[in-house]
Amino acid sequence: MVEEKRILVVGGGISGISAAVDAAEVGYDVTLIEKNPHLGGRVAQLNKYFPKLCPPNCGLEINFRRIKNNPRIKIYTLAEVEKISGSEGDFDVTVKLNPRYVNENCTACRACVEVCPIERPNEFNFGMDKTKAVYLPQDFAFPLRYVIDDKLCKKAECAKCVEACTYNAIDLNMKVQSLSLKVGSIVWATGWKPYDAAKIDNLGFGKYQNVITNMMLERLAAQNGPTNGKILRPSDGREVSRVAFVQCAGSRDENHLPYCSYVCCLASIKQASYIREQYPDAQVIIFYIDIRTPGRYEKVYLKAQKDEKIKFIKGKVAKIEEDPATKDLTVTAEDTLSAQKIHEKFDLVVLATGMAPTTREWKIPANVSYDVDGFITSSPEIGGMYAVGCALKPLDVYSSIQSSTAAALKAIQSLVRR
Amino acid sequence: MADATVIKPDLDFVKGIIASGGESLKKCYQCATCSVVCNVTPDNKPFPRKEMVWAQWGLKEKFIGNPDVWLCHQCNDCTVYCPRGAKPGEVLGAIRKQSIQQYSAPGFMTRLVNNKKFVPILFLFPAVLFAIVLSAAGTFHIPGGEIVFSKFFSVHLIDPIFAAAFFFGIGVGILGITKFWRDMCQACRNDSIPSGVTTGDLKGSIIETIKEILSHNKFKDCVVSRDRYLAHFLVFYSFIALGITTALAVFYLYILKIESPYSLITPLKLIGNIGAIALFVGINLMVINRFKNAGKVGIGSYFDWLLIFIIYVIVVSGILSELTRLADIAGLAYPIYFIHLVFVFSLFLYLPYSKLAHLFYRTTAICYAKYSKRQ
Repeated sequence: MVEEKRILVVGGGISGISAAVDAAEVGYDVTLIEKNPHLGGRVAQLNKYFPKLCPPNCGLEINFRRIKNNPRIKIYTLAEVEKISGSEGDFDVTVKLNPRYVNENCTACRACVEVCPIERPNEFNFGMDKTKAVYLPQDFAFPLRYVIDDKLCKKAECAKCVEACTYNAIDLNMKVQSLSLKVGSIVWATGWKPYDAAKIDNLGFGKYQNVITNMMLERLAAQNGPTNGKILRPSDGREVSRVAFVQCAGSRDENHLPYCSYVCCLASIKQASYIREQYPDAQVIIFYIDIRTPGRYEKVYLKAQKDEKIKFIKGKVAKIEEDPATKDLTVTAEDTLSAQKIHEKFDLVVLATGMAPTTREWKIPANVSYDVDGFITSSPEIGGMYAVGCALKPLDVYSSIQSSTAAALKAIQSLVRR
Repeated sequence: MADATVIKPDLDFVKGIIASGGESLKKCYQCATCSVVCNVTPDNKPFPRKEMVWAQWGLKEKFIGNPDVWLCHQCNDCTVYCPRGAKPGEVLGAIRKQSIQQYSAPGFMTRLVNNKKFVPILFLFPAVLFAIVLSAAGTFHIPGGEIVFSKFFSVHLIDPIFAAAFFFGIGVGILGITKFWRDMCQACRNDSIPSGVTTGDLKGSIIETIKEILSHNKFKDCVVSRDRYLAHFLVFYSFIALGITTALAVFYLYILKIESPYSLITPLKLIGNIGAIALFVGINLMVINRFKNAGKVGIGSYFDWLLIFIIYVIVVSGILSELTRLADIAGLAYPIYFIHLVFVFSLFLYLPYSKLAHLFYRTTAICYAKYSKRQ
């Protein structure tokens, strides 16, 4: 009997994990690869999910347990697809495995971090704090193992961590490896990136410290974030009292992302709700073009409208100015319902930045077709390949997981259909 | 639904805007980015967002007596930042054309002047008129001897013909702005147009308006097309210089009784030649600026280009007729001079119907905004 073909899932965020678990739990072998040193993707960075405002780590933990308990799932982190050939049912895939420099012996004891002399900006927290060059990607990292940033580590020249590690877990001589896979189908769960808000030159991101993105706010509000869950403004660490949300920061804008990013309205309403919960005196204004809360999410909007300290103003913010002395921000918009140009002062401005598909800049090394915005089309040119979640279009977590289950079934069909 | 408003869209008005450079009108989704990035719009009921929805819905009556479309200086900051490519700056330009058509009587003249199809008629009319006049005077041929333009087209013929065209243009413009002012006062009373009090200080407003125009300060508020400041400044002041030259020529001829051509060092020639050079530089800068912003803004409509074309021909033919005269090339000098006169005459005659009509309507709107304390 020929060796049974596997399913390859590229991307270890919530969509990729879901597709992998679904396919494995009905009895198919799955290889899940992720370019970061840990699984969880964008969801791991969230403070809370809408609409229930529960923390995403519980959902991820359940999935990690299902992965751990299932021998059919093989995981590679720090892994990137390099080459693909073949066709549906019979793909040859070359995967590049980047060195972690930390092996399975690691117990996450932190001894290495204590001695490491080099710091790096923590990209998991969007650069709002630092880690050492040897670091745990995040508190809930899976696999729970340290990693070394080889762009900064001085390796043999320093090697203090090797000395400090009592488990023999650090190997600074690890090299890039290549992995050859034979797979029958491929699920693309390559996800999204927050749109680079610095490109929106009239909103001051990158110029004014207290202009942050919605994803940065998730990290500020998260217990395992850079401020341990306190929402402090970056310029002076003061707790926020007046916050503006700028909807469609880059989305629905042909100069940036021409499409609606689907989640930002709900994300801002969610964020306004938890700011209000945490700081009962805080005032929030959400500036919008149209509030888009599809389907049942309308209820979330209706609830927020009842909060007298959350105000909605119909009019897009197109100008933000900073008072250089106080670092307070003046936001200008036209309230289109009263036709008045208003200038309001805030201590924090959150840009509801949209989702750019990872494949906007990075292309899959195969003849996959994309739409004009860089999302993978729902029927890629090549049979046996299926895109899921935000690789397909901007989606919420709930709909992403639905797309993953659907793709898992199609990926299985590609293996068994003859 | 007792207080329901019935909208009566004027579809021809919408089509008119779309046909004259506002084809992007329907893309607007009312986000109001335009009103915010505009540095010349007031805070109270700012333009151009409200104009965009009025125009989309064909609410023509909203534009009657609306000073705002004329307060717009077409910086196009709105157009560059517009997330939908709706080009509010260009749309307001197209609405202004509708406004000119409405106020500069008779209305069909604006349609005639601004329709590509009629362009040969526009310039053939003065050419034929001049040919008839010159044939009747017996000078419709290239004269011999030293080049003196008056031998070909006597100044005593030029003056009445051109004065008639000039005062016709001015007259139509004044009638137009009188009606426009009345409509603005009316609209203000009806509160359909955002304005403050109607009993402002008229004299003070006029002085402020003149100061604003002379200083060209509003142009400095533009961000994307700040270069237009210099271009418009040069064209504006060269027109003034050439106006002074004309007045001096009348003075020389009828008061001092000195016939042209004049020496190059008389004040008349000095001012005239400096004006011509400034106009040449200015109009070229205008063309260059249009191409510089073409990627995002587009290069403009026929309405914009017709005026640029007329001024361009005037300045080039003016300079060339002087140079060929000085170089004593009669075979070129007289025909070029003829072309020059055809286009100057056209500029005067079509003044209230072409884009140049903005000198009436924008000035009046700025003055009214000051008068009604619009801010």
